[in-house]
Amino acid sequence: MKILLSWLKDYIDIQETPEKIAEALNMAGLEVEEVIQPGKNLDQIVVGKILSRDPHPDADKLSLCSVDVNRGQPLQIVCGASNMKAGDKVPVAMIGAKLPGGFEISRAKIRGVESFGMMCSKKELGLSEDHGGLYILDDKASIGENIVKALDLDDVVFDISITPNRGDALSHLGIARELSAIFNLPLHRNPLGDEEGDDNVDNHISVEIEDTDHCPRYGARVVHGIKVGPSPDWLKDRLEKIGLRSINNVVDITNYIMLDIGHPMHAFDLNKIEGNSIIVRNARKDEKIMTLDNVEHPLDSTMLVIADAKKPVALAGVMGGLHSSVTEQTTSVMLEAAFFNPTTVRKTAKRLGMMSDSSYRFERGTNIDNVPIALNEAARLLRQIAGGRPVKGIVDCYPKPEILRQIRVRTKRANRVIGINLTPAQIETFLLRLKLDTRRDGEDLIVSVPPYRHDLELEADIIEEIARMYGYNNIPETLPAITSVLQLPTPLQKICTRLRDHMVSCGFNEIMTYSFIPANINESFREKKPLMLQNPLSEELSAMRTSLKWGMYDALRRNILNDEFNLRLFEIGRVFHPAAGGLSEEYTRLSLGFSGSVNSRDWRRNGENFDLYVVKGIVENIAKLLGLKIKFAPGSYSLFHPTMQMELSAGKNHIGEFGQLHPEFIDNKKMPKCIYIVEIDLGKAAKAAEGCQRMQPIPDLPAIRRDLALLAPESVGNRDISKILTAEGKALLEDCYLFDVYQGKGIEPGFRSLAYSLTFRDLRKTLTDEEIQPLIDKMIGRLDRELSVKLR
Amino acid sequence: MSESHDKLLQQYHSERKAAKDTAGLEALRVKYLGKKGEVTELLKGLGKLAPEERKSVGAAINELKNAIQSSIEESMREMALKEQNEKLNAERPDYSLPGLYHSSGSLHPVVQVAREVADIFLSMGFFMAEGPEIEEEYYNFEALNVPSHHPARDMQDTFYIESGQVLRTQTSPVQIRTMEALKPPLKMIGLGKVFRKDSDITHSPMFNQMEGLVVGENISMADLKGTLVMFVENMFGKRPHRFRPSYFPFTEPSAEMDIQCIFCEGKGCKVCKNTGWMEVLGCGMVNPKVFDAVKYDTEKYTGFAFGMGIDRIAMLRYGINDIRLLFSSDVRFLRQF
Repeated sequence: MKILLSWLKDYIDIQETPEKIAEALNMAGLEVEEVIQPGKNLDQIVVGKILSRDPHPDADKLSLCSVDVNRGQPLQIVCGASNMKAGDKVPVAMIGAKLPGGFEISRAKIRGVESFGMMCSKKELGLSEDHGGLYILDDKASIGENIVKALDLDDVVFDISITPNRGDALSHLGIARELSAIFNLPLHRNPLGDEEGDDNVDNHISVEIEDTDHCPRYGARVVHGIKVGPSPDWLKDRLEKIGLRSINNVVDITNYIMLDIGHPMHAFDLNKIEGNSIIVRNARKDEKIMTLDNVEHPLDSTMLVIADAKKPVALAGVMGGLHSSVTEQTTSVMLEAAFFNPTTVRKTAKRLGMMSDSSYRFERGTNIDNVPIALNEAARLLRQIAGGRPVKGIVDCYPKPEILRQIRVRTKRANRVIGINLTPAQIETFLLRLKLDTRRDGEDLIVSVPPYRHDLELEADIIEEIARMYGYNNIPETLPAITSVLQLPTPLQKICTRLRDHMVSCGFNEIMTYSFIPANINESFREKKPLMLQNPLSEELSAMRTSLKWGMYDALRRNILNDEFNLRLFEIGRVFHPAAGGLSEEYTRLSLGFSGSVNSRDWRRNGENFDLYVVKGIVENIAKLLGLKIKFAPGSYSLFHPTMQMELSAGKNHIGEFGQLHPEFIDNKKMPKCIYIVEIDLGKAAKAAEGCQRMQPIPDLPAIRRDLALLAPESVGNRDISKILTAEGKALLEDCYLFDVYQGKGIEPGFRSLAYSLTFRDLRKTLTDEEIQPLIDKMIGRLDRELSVKLR
Repeated sequence: MSESHDKLLQQYHSERKAAKDTAGLEALRVKYLGKKGEVTELLKGLGKLAPEERKSVGAAINELKNAIQSSIEESMREMALKEQNEKLNAERPDYSLPGLYHSSGSLHPVVQVAREVADIFLSMGFFMAEGPEIEEEYYNFEALNVPSHHPARDMQDTFYIESGQVLRTQTSPVQIRTMEALKPPLKMIGLGKVFRKDSDITHSPMFNQMEGLVVGENISMADLKGTLVMFVENMFGKRPHRFRPSYFPFTEPSAEMDIQCIFCEGKGCKVCKNTGWMEVLGCGMVNPKVFDAVKYDTEKYTGFAFGMGIDRIAMLRYGINDIRLLFSSDVRFLRQF
């Protein structure tokens, strides 16, 4: 909201600098986003008249001008612009002037000719971005006058962001009231407009309110003899300076009053109000209204309208109707000032997707006492500037006058909450400065809340006012003297922390992808039908993810398209599954993504590509870190290569899966064939994780190691062989480790060679070869009989 | 020692000095002390001497033998060391070859900053709480004193799930859930993703917040200030700060905390829009209406709450100019952290 300093001075004699005022408002909770001072730093710039313009003797593009600045001899100025001629009036920066850009004007010799100042463009004065030549001033500007005065740049505009609780501050009066409290200055109000006039308003209009919950007060006043036309300069000027377009005198007056005292108004063409009656009622089914912005809106019964005898003529508090609006032909107007229920206005505005300056203020709460004030003030202005003849009196429909809210504030409580030590008298002083009627009741204070302070409901609200006046920055800084109940991190939280550190040490980059993903992704990326957003930002962000795989796929793919081929990514985040009763369940997952080589190719090594076994190793490592006993089994996910994938389980629970991306999803030439994605449910992992292990004694007796090189048919797996080795090794087999798998030259097709290293140890005595040999013989025997696996 | 022994010893020493390597020394050892070595031969000759001479001559030969033996051992040690050094020095790496690449991972910048922030509060005795990202409207709004159709809802444009639940617009519902589950005194922080319908270079539809809550008897605004000043000083270094009144439906009084701009040290720059100040967090004393919602005794307990955008702090800290980079998964960005 823009506030004009000169307008504030209607209410308060404030002499502080704009910077100080802005600072004070900020520290009172009214955030000043910008202080606009067009006239700042334009001290030594005056109106000059170009007497003559001649070419520079030594430069084609420069001109030599003689400029009268009403300071004795005309100045000789060299100028690079070309849009001026003799007789033009232009801003002239005198020697010593400092332009807003920081450039200081000094006496200069330009291509051999002396120049005693500079003629300026709008941009050079900081007035606009327009650099299309000199700023040619109105011919009425008087020569030698300071440019700030000549262009009326003296005013200051504050752009203030008002929080939703402070509807009372959405006007010049509201801001002046705050300043009066902050600087402890008196606030003077304009004399109230008069209710005088001829005739009687009741002869011209009647008002009826159907439901006073929606509209507690509605006031109307009639003015005849209006000549609709342009507004006078002072009015235009005020509106334009705060960024409002002047429309005509009648509309401008209603806008002016809204900006002045914060009360939105509307002016109807009285002759378009059928039956001379106003009914404030809910819209009826199938009613429609064409509003001022030329849009037709279908209405429903939740919306509040202002109607005449036949039809809605305005959307209450939101916007007037086109049909009854003031036009150039209008001669009689009915002025409306009302108090509409904030929720009612908000609902209507939201439903129709409309927001106006009026609805914005009604939603935040207006001053119900301003209804007659606004009407009379508008009537006065119509008489003054639009030739209006107000009809005597106002129709003021206010069936249940509001009773001021009383709030009891306990001094002790206020001090306890703020952490200070004020006396009741000090508190009273603060509240009175805020125009809050306060009386003492022992140590307590009883505050009557004025009707415009809708934010003051509870004792806590008054305590905030006290703290504000005391100054937040004057409150001491202490530390809470309490010890919190103890809440340790959950197992899941701990797992997430450990995993993040682990993955980073393993060379993974952590990613964070959106929780919402496109609705139309391939089914293979989904685990469930996703929860959908009612109001997504775009189709791309419309479904809640049911797994992390899409985000990981998308991340890998996008990096690859950026020519980043060697990737190890991880994400820890939640996925969302629909649950019974339309609710949702959230699961914390880990996803890993791999592309390219395990070690990138360098001057000594050739990069080894990621494959099922590398990824499996990384998963095994994670399982070990988390204390998980994971079982691997072939998987059947359509997202993955039909055989290059595995499913993970712990205990009886499925906890994740991984695999090589199915070629179907390799949809760009740049994408390598081997892209792997892993996903593990960390909640389930946390549950399955085993607690701390008992220490195993470190053996002090020597072990015997034997290597077995076996030739096995391709169909025989490591697991089949290990099973037999482990079974026959009995208690003495400490470790059975597969150290080589080979297929190719020297091995019959259809077979492969598997080499195991077996470690035998007896914890009680030193083993001998003689004790081991029978075990090995049995192993070889069984391998041959059951699996046709032979010693190589 | 006889003259001949002396001569032998001198001969040995001159030969030792001439030895070039450990092999030469070994040959010397064999020559003098080996089975047929010169000293050994002398010892063998003892038997031919008269018994009365044997003792003194024997002692002399032994002395000679010991002298040669210890000298040769010492020389051997020195020589071996010398040889080893020569060998090591002959190994000449190309110091300019690059190290063999080991892909280095990185924590997401937001996670790094969140950890830093959390560590400060955890050190101050706070605990970490969590809550769902898909929330009931009640927890996200009503319980926090934001009734439906309240203009405060305009402050946060909300995503709705078809079921009518919302994507939480703030981590504050974690406060409500924590208070429903625990009795005061408590000091908690909550961290997580939040969602608002907004997207440009400073707004992302998903971002991260850290929330804090302290409830106990006699908790005051002074405690709020002291706690947050301690946080800010540990996070951003000791620098001027200020508290400005503001509005949040769930706190009363409410404030925003600014610190002196970390880029221009208060002189005014583009980042701080020439104010010299940077807003870092919102805070306030818990509104009694919120305590009513969780059935805390508003007379007995007071408390304060605060919240901050972790992404924004990360952006300030690392000079990130577009919030969307944080969620781009671009490794060219991520590897920098």
